Amino acid sequence: MADEPVPRIPAAIPATLVAEELATTGEVAAGTAPAGIPGRERGDRIRTVVTYVALFGITALFAIPFLWSVSTSFRTIADTVSGFSILPHHWTTIGYHDVLHKYHFGRYTLNSFIIAGTVTVTNLFLASIGGYAFARLKFPGREALFMLVLGTLMIPDQLRLVPLYQMLVNMLPKWVSHVGWHDASFVNRNGVILISLVSAASLFLMRQYFLTIPRDLEEAAKLDGAGYFKTYWRVMLPLAGPALAAVAILTFQGSWNSLFWPAVLLQSESQHTIPLGLTYFQQVYTTLWPQLMAASVTAILPILVLFVFFQRYFVAGVAASGVKG
Amino acid sequence: MGSERLRESLVGYGFIALPMAFFLLFFIFPLGYAFYISRYNWGIFKGPFVGWDNYRELYHDSVFWHHAVRNTLVYTITVVPLQMAIGLGLAVMVNNTIRFRTFFRAGFYFPSLASSAAIVSIATYILASDGLLNKVLGQLGYHHTDAWFAQTSTVLPSIIALNAWTTSGTLMLFYLAALQSISVEVYEAAAIDGAGAWRTFRKITFPLLKPAHFFVAVVSIIGALQMFDQSFIIGGTNGGPNYATMTVLLYLYNRAFYGVQFGYAAAVGLTLFVFIFTVTLIQRLLFGKAEVA
Repeated sequence: MADEPVPRIPAAIPATLVAEELATTGEVAAGTAPAGIPGRERGDRIRTVVTYVALFGITALFAIPFLWSVSTSFRTIADTVSGFSILPHHWTTIGYHDVLHKYHFGRYTLNSFIIAGTVTVTNLFLASIGGYAFARLKFPGREALFMLVLGTLMIPDQLRLVPLYQMLVNMLPKWVSHVGWHDASFVNRNGVILISLVSAASLFLMRQYFLTIPRDLEEAAKLDGAGYFKTYWRVMLPLAGPALAAVAILTFQGSWNSLFWPAVLLQSESQHTIPLGLTYFQQVYTTLWPQLMAASVTAILPILVLFVFFQRYFVAGVAASGVKG
Repeated sequence: MGSERLRESLVGYGFIALPMAFFLLFFIFPLGYAFYISRYNWGIFKGPFVGWDNYRELYHDSVFWHHAVRNTLVYTITVVPLQMAIGLGLAVMVNNTIRFRTFFRAGFYFPSLASSAAIVSIATYILASDGLLNKVLGQLGYHHTDAWFAQTSTVLPSIIALNAWTTSGTLMLFYLAALQSISVEVYEAAAIDGAGAWRTFRKITFPLLKPAHFFVAVVSIIGALQMFDQSFIIGGTNGGPNYATMTVLLYLYNRAFYGVQFGYAAAVGLTLFVFIFTVTLIQRLLFGKAEVA
């Protein structure tokens, strides 16, 4: 049963959106908007102008906070309190220099990259191999186990805070020290990675994509004597590029922006990520605006770059993941 | 043939072994463990068994009810309609056959993707006492000199406005998917009947989006009930000023790490979970067919 209906749970709802978005080549399928109304051309033209004015106005409104933060990030502190100006009076990169070197954002950035990069790789592997098995291999209890995976989407973070903290900060270091390993900081930092190794959303996305791939190539591989792992690795993975890209981007972005679990699990300042660093920085240094804006730009920039190049994968990603908190 | 089927099953179990072990250890097991912890007087480590005492105490906890729950409900009830309205408005505009459609869609969606910590930092700057907003308001003859995030009366409305903005892009995408499933013929028929743009929207588009409304509402309610980042950054662990930004999830964090009452925090978590689960269940029973596309 390659295309049985998806169980009706929240994540299942936008499944078609995921598939469609990954299938189209960027632009949303055209031709769905109302066609021109005969005999109303003048009214239409006025409406078109109003629509464009509104669209550009809203875009400007959305962009102003970001542009203002970029502008401030290149100012001196004196420049932020003197009279209003759109651009800095004297351009300086001291804000960036300060946050990277004086306020440890260089290290926070590195920590964020390490955590987000690691969980992206583990998500790609675990979600694709699990998704392949759920999509293609037959084994007793498959549907029930897949429902269990999807069911984890209903278990919210607030319920997991206390038990996960107890498991990772109290139990795990104890076990680790039993085997002679006393480095508790290793456990703490990797706690954030450990609880994000794979997500139900990633696995769901991979399975849905594998279901849409025709079986012919697998059959051919089988005739050539390829085993299951080889078929997965050499035949299916190369065909799953768009889904892998979506999983990678969704995972990286989620981990990069995440504040809740790092705030819970990262104990020492040297392990902090950018969002956590931003939180504490703005609570301590309340008026170092150029520095705060420089740090904010640093936090946003990698996601902006990813977004500019891989927009449609982001759209597919959000469809699979729902709304951020 | 039989051995081939057995082999396929074993390989299948092998392939899902790691992901399943992960989900069992970090999702399913914590469900039961949270309940177990909630029945103990649990500081950093396990203390004496107290039965339902944590829940009883929670029932009489005034900070929880008068601040955390109250703020969370006020926030949810106001932010959800706001972000739905903005999301729908953006979706309808972007769904027109217009130039630069991809650009507009991207621009409206981007705030949903940017780090919440960075967005709050920028907002703190713009809403500061001598920030951009107060300067603009001053030019318009309205003199507001306080920082919007620092006053008990303005901080929650400011967060509501902020999050209505940042979340609307995501909701726009959901609405956009639903809008594209409405067939062109419906609009053509309306045009032949001479219906104007607003009437077409009110009489045709809006009602046809009913399933999408329900889905978007539930997703957005569940998200709103779990608000944490903005309160944590602006109000700190205590949800200041004066508990004005205390939410249920922040209170849970506060009880665990500030009060070192893990048993009590677990009880808060389970209570919120049951509430959210009920919302989801009611939605499913009433509108089981709620689908976007």
